[in-house]
Amino acid sequence: MRRADHVGGVLCLALGTAYAAGARQFPYWTPAGPGSGFLPFWLGVALALLGGLLLLQAGRRAPPSGRGDPAGREAVQAGSLRQLLLLSGATLALLVALPVLGLILASALFLLGVLRFLERRPWRQAVGVAAAMAILIHLVFARWLRVPLPLGPLGF
Amino acid sequence: MLDHLALGFSIALSPFNLLMAFLGAVLGTLIGALPGIGPVSGVALLLPLTFGMHPTSAIIMLAAIYYGSQYGGTITSVLINTPGESASVVTCLDGYQMALRGRAGAALGIAALGSFVAGTFGTLLLMLMAPTLARWALSFGPPETFALMLLGLTTVTGLAGDHPLKGFISMVLGLMLAMVGFDIVSGDARYTFGVNEVLEGIDFLPVAIGLFGLGEVLVGAEEVRDLRILRARYRLREVWPTAADWVRSRWAIARGTLLGFFIGILPGAGSTIASFLSYTVERKVSRHREEFGRGAIEGVAGPESANNAASAGSLVPLLTLGIPGSGTTAVLLGGLMMWGLRPGPLLFEKNPDFVWGLIASMYIGNVMLVLLNIFAIPAFVWALRIPYRVLTPLIVVFCVTGAYAANNRVFDVGLMLAFGALGYLMRRFDYSPAALTLALVLGPLAERALRQSLIISDRGLLIFFTRPIAAVLTSAALLAVLIPLGRALWRVRHRVRRLAPA
Repeated sequence: MRRADHVGGVLCLALGTAYAAGARQFPYWTPAGPGSGFLPFWLGVALALLGGLLLLQAGRRAPPSGRGDPAGREAVQAGSLRQLLLLSGATLALLVALPVLGLILASALFLLGVLRFLERRPWRQAVGVAAAMAILIHLVFARWLRVPLPLGPLGF
Repeated sequence: MLDHLALGFSIALSPFNLLMAFLGAVLGTLIGALPGIGPVSGVALLLPLTFGMHPTSAIIMLAAIYYGSQYGGTITSVLINTPGESASVVTCLDGYQMALRGRAGAALGIAALGSFVAGTFGTLLLMLMAPTLARWALSFGPPETFALMLLGLTTVTGLAGDHPLKGFISMVLGLMLAMVGFDIVSGDARYTFGVNEVLEGIDFLPVAIGLFGLGEVLVGAEEVRDLRILRARYRLREVWPTAADWVRSRWAIARGTLLGFFIGILPGAGSTIASFLSYTVERKVSRHREEFGRGAIEGVAGPESANNAASAGSLVPLLTLGIPGSGTTAVLLGGLMMWGLRPGPLLFEKNPDFVWGLIASMYIGNVMLVLLNIFAIPAFVWALRIPYRVLTPLIVVFCVTGAYAANNRVFDVGLMLAFGALGYLMRRFDYSPAALTLALVLGPLAERALRQSLIISDRGLLIFFTRPIAAVLTSAALLAVLIPLGRALWRVRHRVRRLAPA
């Protein structure tokens, strides 16, 4: 967790500095009061300061004594990390497929793929859940709320 | 007041609004019961369904999800020894022990009845207090408004979580995100990097869905294991408390209700803290102290009442001041603004149908919930058998659809996914997604109030200390920042000094 805090501190320092520098292109003060660069400048400064403080704290801190650092969360098993990465990958694929296949088809394929190949659910269950969710989305979002969902090549 | 309440009931009793309250009650209980998805994510996920709905119907459903989840969390705590949501963590201690001793039904029964008493009484207190508070807040000028927002932001951030420094970082990040887009006063496009989709500001909904819906699911995908559900019977005979149970629980319920409501009003201390405090109090005052941790019914009745009363209490600052005190109410505030309402003291005057419709619906919703949680327990237990691993991809699809439906843009789906990743990282490393969301919602309002204050001030920032109400609020906000930060700094110096001689 200390290394994560170091990374976090450096990121905040850098982001805060860049943000404050970016605020300089907007007027800090105008005749009518504070300009559009006023608050952003101080927010950037604040983030940089907080990042510095985090860095200081992490650098000086003895190995965590359990507080704010539950052991159970630290020890993520390799298996579940792999699961998480696969799920994230599938979700990214869903984003890419969305405009091409349409929302309903892409979602159904996503569910089918995740349930069958990631979670190793039986075919019947995977197909059933995917189909049910597709119908539900169609009824709720397309019919009831009249959201113009992205359509696929099949017209839905 | 009675006129207003009659108006409220005439709205809340319309068939559609009754349906929405019922839907919210059922979904809320489910969301509370399912581990890995709590009230914040539930409200964020279902927010897209409210587009095109009348704001009153929308808030009736979302509020029912909020207080309904406080009922549902008990089921999981008692039967599985895993909290369904964070406000039911302490219920595991004695609730699960009761279940092991064959009294699962009694634990669920007293929790449902206690929640009903607390929810109803909490609504009553809300109804009595809120209009007065709103009238008082009407006299607030920009400096008071800004000081109040500052107080809301800093207390939520400083009190919540055991890492205040990271809480403040999350808050500042949220404020920085709130600056993105056109500045209302000058028209400058700030921090947009040429992306047209954020010119109007970063849309709240994809952020909330990502941080809370997707972020929580991703954490859950790592943590939630397969659950073992204790078997029990839920006929009315088992669920309805015995006379002895009543005698032991009634004062616990009363104390939990009062404690919970007033804790709920405080910014930064929501239903989770209320339930913990109630448990501590009950263990102190009980005549059966030795039974705590071994199935004491007061240890279930008190906290379960407290968390319900707190959810009603937390609506007080939201409705009267427009300042949310928790993650869930922050999402609700985002919803209010999306529906085109202006939160704050004027809400009671300008939108009486909205406020009173909501209050009336809370009486009705609590009746629905107590019935559901006494007679329909088996249905919710059955839903707990759905494996979390099947639920996860379903929630992901729901997040994607909801984010898209906000503005019909694929861009928002990408935004939602990015904030989902951020939400996951923030949770893993103890940052606070709730503080970020709160800051994102309040940011534009706070900036406007700050600028207006500085314009009317002839001595700069001193205006926040020369007007009495503003001075009190600002000082409290400064304390809320300085105390936790000072403690962090002191720890650093302490360590340095200890290391130096060695």
